[in-house]
Amino acid sequence: MFKKIIQKARIKSPWLLHFDCGSCNGCDIEVLACLTPLYDIERFGIINVGNPMHADIFLVTGTVNQRNKKVLLNLYDQMPQPKVVVAIGSCALSGGIFREAYNVLGGIDKVLPVDVYVPGCPAKPEAIIDGVVMALENFIRKKDEEKTHA
Amino acid sequence: MINSLVMVIAGLAAGPALGGVISGLDRILTARLQARIGPPVWQPYFDVLKLFGKEKMVVNVWQAFCAYCYVAASSIALVLFFLQSDLLLILFVQAVGALFLVIGAFSSTSPFSQIGAHRELLQILSYEPLLVLVTVGIYLETGSFKIQAVYGGDAPLLLKLPFLFVVLGYALTIKLRKSPFDLSTCHHAHQELVKGLLTDFSGPFLALTEIGHWYEVVLLLGLCSLFWATSWGGMIIIVVITYLLEVLIDNVSARMNWRWMLGYVWSMGLALSMVNLVWLYAR
Amino acid sequence: MTEKLATILILMPFVSAVCCYLIRSVRLRSWVVLVTGVLLIAGALLLIPLTPFTFAAGSLAGLSIRHIVSAADFLLLFVILYFGFKHRSIIIKMLSVFQILLLAYLEFFSVKGIAAAGTIYCDQLSMTMVLIVALVGSIICFQAIPYMQNHETHLKLEKSRQNRFFAVMILFLGAMNGLVLSNDLMFFYFFFEVTTLCSFLLIGHDRTETAVKNAVRALWMNSLGGAAFIAALTVIFSQTAHLDLYRILLDADPANRIFLLSLALLCLAAFTKSAQFPFQSWLLGAMVAPTPVSALLHSSTMVNVGVYLVIRLAPAFRQTFLSHSVAFFGAFTFLAAAALAVGQSNGKKVLAYSTISNLGLIFACAGLNSPQAITAGILLLIFHAIIKALLFLCVGSIEQHIASRDIEDMRGLYAVMPVTALITVMGVIMMIMPPFGVIISKWMAIEAAASDFFIIILIAPGSALTVMYWARWGGILMSDPFAGRFKAEVQPVLTWTALGLLCLGAAILSIGAPWLYQWVIAPAESDFYLLDYTSRGGILENVVGIFPVFPLGLVAVLGFVIAIWAVKKAAGARVVAPYLSGVQTAEPGVFTGPMNTPTKAEAKNYYLASIFGEDKLTTWINLAAGVLLTLVIGGAL
Repeated sequence: MFKKIIQKARIKSPWLLHFDCGSCNGCDIEVLACLTPLYDIERFGIINVGNPMHADIFLVTGTVNQRNKKVLLNLYDQMPQPKVVVAIGSCALSGGIFREAYNVLGGIDKVLPVDVYVPGCPAKPEAIIDGVVMALENFIRKKDEEKTHA
Repeated sequence: MINSLVMVIAGLAAGPALGGVISGLDRILTARLQARIGPPVWQPYFDVLKLFGKEKMVVNVWQAFCAYCYVAASSIALVLFFLQSDLLLILFVQAVGALFLVIGAFSSTSPFSQIGAHRELLQILSYEPLLVLVTVGIYLETGSFKIQAVYGGDAPLLLKLPFLFVVLGYALTIKLRKSPFDLSTCHHAHQELVKGLLTDFSGPFLALTEIGHWYEVVLLLGLCSLFWATSWGGMIIIVVITYLLEVLIDNVSARMNWRWMLGYVWSMGLALSMVNLVWLYAR
Repeated sequence: MTEKLATILILMPFVSAVCCYLIRSVRLRSWVVLVTGVLLIAGALLLIPLTPFTFAAGSLAGLSIRHIVSAADFLLLFVILYFGFKHRSIIIKMLSVFQILLLAYLEFFSVKGIAAAGTIYCDQLSMTMVLIVALVGSIICFQAIPYMQNHETHLKLEKSRQNRFFAVMILFLGAMNGLVLSNDLMFFYFFFEVTTLCSFLLIGHDRTETAVKNAVRALWMNSLGGAAFIAALTVIFSQTAHLDLYRILLDADPANRIFLLSLALLCLAAFTKSAQFPFQSWLLGAMVAPTPVSALLHSSTMVNVGVYLVIRLAPAFRQTFLSHSVAFFGAFTFLAAAALAVGQSNGKKVLAYSTISNLGLIFACAGLNSPQAITAGILLLIFHAIIKALLFLCVGSIEQHIASRDIEDMRGLYAVMPVTALITVMGVIMMIMPPFGVIISKWMAIEAAASDFFIIILIAPGSALTVMYWARWGGILMSDPFAGRFKAEVQPVLTWTALGLLCLGAAILSIGAPWLYQWVIAPAESDFYLLDYTSRGGILENVVGIFPVFPLGLVAVLGFVIAIWAVKKAAGARVVAPYLSGVQTAEPGVFTGPMNTPTKAEAKNYYLASIFGEDKLTTWINLAAGVLLTLVIGGAL
C-alpha cells in the first residue's frame, strides 16, 4: 500500500535533468519552451532541476560524440534510481543530420539505455510533453518493479 | 501534562501539515504571478514522497547525520513554540538546524556545495542579530521572553514594534529563501550554483531537508503571528499579508550578492531595530 | 583538616615543580606529573563538601607566612627586573621598578606586614576555580607528556628541556590555586605576579626569536597589569586600612570616588591579564608556545584570573558608572574579537580571538551586575574553560600530525584522523549549540543584557559572528570526498584520556547545568545578589525566561542516537562522487579539466579579509578600546 503511494508520487512529481550533448540547440529551445507559460509543465509537477542527484528523468538532446560520452555516463550514474532516459530530437535518436561527422558516435542509445524516443527536428513541445508522460507512466512503474540497489 | 503532550504532537504535526500546504500555495501563487497555472496544492507532498522512494545515495555519510539533525532541531524549535516556551531559546534551537544543514553541505567537496554553504553562513550571519533584536523588542514590550506573555497583552505588538516587524520581514525573506536573498539555494530553477547548499543531498536526505524547511517556515510565520496575537483574525491577516508580500518581492527582485546582502540587511536592519528599541527604552 | 587540604593544594605543586626540574628521567618525571595531577584532583574533590571556609595563614618554621610571601614577592619583582635587563626592555625595567617601589612603600609604611583576618577564603566561586585548575589543568598536563615528547623529537633537540617545561607548568597550577583561594590582596598580588612569570617562561620556552619577542611582550603587558594592581592596592589601603577582599566587598562604598578609582585600576589589571583590547597582542603572540601552554594558560586558567577578579569585585561597584563602562568595554571586546576571528585562517589564532571574545562577554556580564548576568558570567567561565582547553588540545594533536595549524590544511581531516576530527567537531558544537553550556550562558547573558540598549546592540552581532567562524571550521573537518571507512588513528593513551575526559565532562556538565546552578552558583552569589533562577526538574527558569536544559539534553541525546543510526544505514547506500558538472573522474574530487588534464576541484573558506581582516580592523579597534578604557578609569572619578 505504501508502494502504491510512492508510485503515485513518482508519477506526480517528475523532476527533469536536461542535457545538451551536442545539438544545434533547436530541441533545447523547445524543451525550455515547455517551461514557459504557454505550455507550463509545472502543472504536472515537472521541475527542471539542473542536478542529476535530484532528477528522475534524463532529457537528452543532441548526438553523442567522443568528448561527451563520458559526461553522459557520469550524469546518468549520478542519478538515483528509479530513473528514465528520454531522447529528444532526431540527433539524439540516431545522430540526425550530424550522423556522418567523424567524431559523432550516433544516437545516445549507443551509450545509455534509452526508454523513450521523441522524434522531430526540432521536436515539438507537445511531443516532448507526450514523451515525458509516457516515460512516467510506462517506465517509472516498470523500473520500480525491477529496482536494483547498485 | 496532557495539554503539553497535545501541544507537542500538534507541533510535530504542524510542520509537515501546514508547511507543505504553504509551500504548495507559494508555488501556485508564484505561477499565477508569472501568468502560468502552477502545480496542484499538494505538489510538495508528492515531491517529498517521491524523494523518500528514491535510491539512497550519498556523497558523504555525514550528510545523513546532518539531514536528520536539521529536521530534529527544526521540529524541536516548532514544538517549543507550541509549548509557548522562551523565544530566545527557540531561536537558538532553530539555529542548530540551520548550522547542521551548513555542516552537511560542507562535508561534500564539490565547489557548488562549498560556496553554497558559505553563502548560507553569510545569510545566517545577516539575519541572526536581527532575530535576537526582535526578541529583545518583544521582551521590552511584554516584559518577558516567554511566548505566554505575548498572548496576555491587550494591544497588538505591531502597534508598538512596527520597525521591528519590518526587521523580522528581512529575516523572514532570507530564511524563506526568497529573492533578493536566495543566494545559497532556492526553490526555483535560477540558481547559478546548480542547487547551491543542497547540490549533493539526494533522495531521502533531500526530502528531510525539505521537511526541515517546512518546520522553519511554520515557525517563522508563527513568529510573525505574534505581532497581532490579540485575535485569531489578526494573526491570520498578518501572516497572509506578510506571505503575499514575500512572494511578490520574490518575483520582482533579482538575486543580489552576499556583500550587498550583508551590508543592506545589517545597516537597514540594525538601524530600524535601534530606532524601535530606543523608542521602547525611552518609555 | 580544611587548612591542611587547602595548603597542600597550594604548596604541593611548588614542591612537585622542583622535583620535575631536578629529575632527568622522563619516565620518573611523567609519574611525578601524573601523581601531582591526581593528588590535586583528589584534594579539590575532598575540599568540595568543606566549602565555604576561611582561615588565617599561620607560620611556617617560625616565620610568619605573610612575611615569607612578602619576601618572595620582592624576589619575584627583582627576577622580572633582571629579565628586563637581560632582554633590554625599558618598559619592563620601568614597570618592575615602579612595582618594587610601590610594594616597598606599601609593605614598610602602610600595611607593615599585617595580614588580613582571613588570608584564605573559599566560597563556591573559588571552589569552582580550584576544580577547573585541578581537573582541566591536570588533564592538560597529562596530555602534555606525550605532546612534549613528540615536540622535542620534532625539533631534534639534543638536550631535553622538558624538565623546565613541566616544572613551570606544575608551579603554575599551584600559583593558580593560591590566587583563587587568596583573600588577602597581598597574597593575591604575589600569585598574580607568579602567573605573569610562568607565562613569560612558558611562551619563550622554545627559545626561538619570535618566541622570545612574544614572551617579552607578554611580560611587559602583564607587568602593566601588575603595576595597576599594586597601585590599586595602595589606594585601597589608603581608603579602607585593610586589604581583606571579602571585607572590601562587604564595606564597599560606591560613593567614595577614590575607592572606585582603585576598583577601576583593578579592572585594568584584569583586562591586561585577560588580554582584552588593546592588550590582545600578547595573547596572540603567545600562540607560538607549545599547545599545552596555550590550553592551560591562555584559555582555561591564567586568562580567567582577570574575569575571576572582576566577578569577585562586581558587588562592590554595583550601579555605578564604572559598572556600565566595564560592561560596555566587555561587550565591545566580544564583538570586535569575534569580527577579527572571522578573518583568520590560523587555527590557534581563531581560538585566541575566540577566547578574548568570550572573556569580553564575561566582563560584560560582570559589568551588567544583575543576578542573571553574574550567573551567566560564572557559567560561561566554567564552560568556556573546559571546552576551549579541549579545542586547544585537539588543535595541538592535529598540528603535530599534519604539521600545520591552518584551517585550510585541516580540510577533510576526517580522512586522516577520524576520532580527533570528530572530537574537534564535538567541541565546536559544544561552543555554539544548545543544550550545551556555552549557549546556556549566552542565552542568560542576552536575557540579562536585554534591558541595556548599548550592550545588546553589541552582543547581537557578536553572537552571529561567533557562529560563523565556528561553523566554518567544524564543517570542513568532515569535508572528505569519501563516505566513512572508519579506521581510528593511533594516538598515545594519555592523549585519548585527556580529550575524552574533557569532551565527556563538558557534555555531562552542560546537561547538568541546572544542578550546577543550584549547588554552586546560587550559593556563591547569595551573599550579594538576590537569586533569580529556579532550577526544577532540570529546567532553569526565572520571571522572564525558561531553558529546559535537561529535557532538551535528553531529546538531543535521542536525536543524536537516531542520527547515528541513520549514518549506519547510509553506510550501505551507494556512494557517488560530488557533483562536478558531469566531468568527474574515477578519483574523488578530481575532474577532467582544460586540455583533458585531471584537475583537482578546490574550494577555500571565505575569510572575508577585506572586511574582517586583522590588519584592516586592529588599529581602529585598539583606538576605540583605548577610548573605552579611558572611560572606564576616568569615569570612576
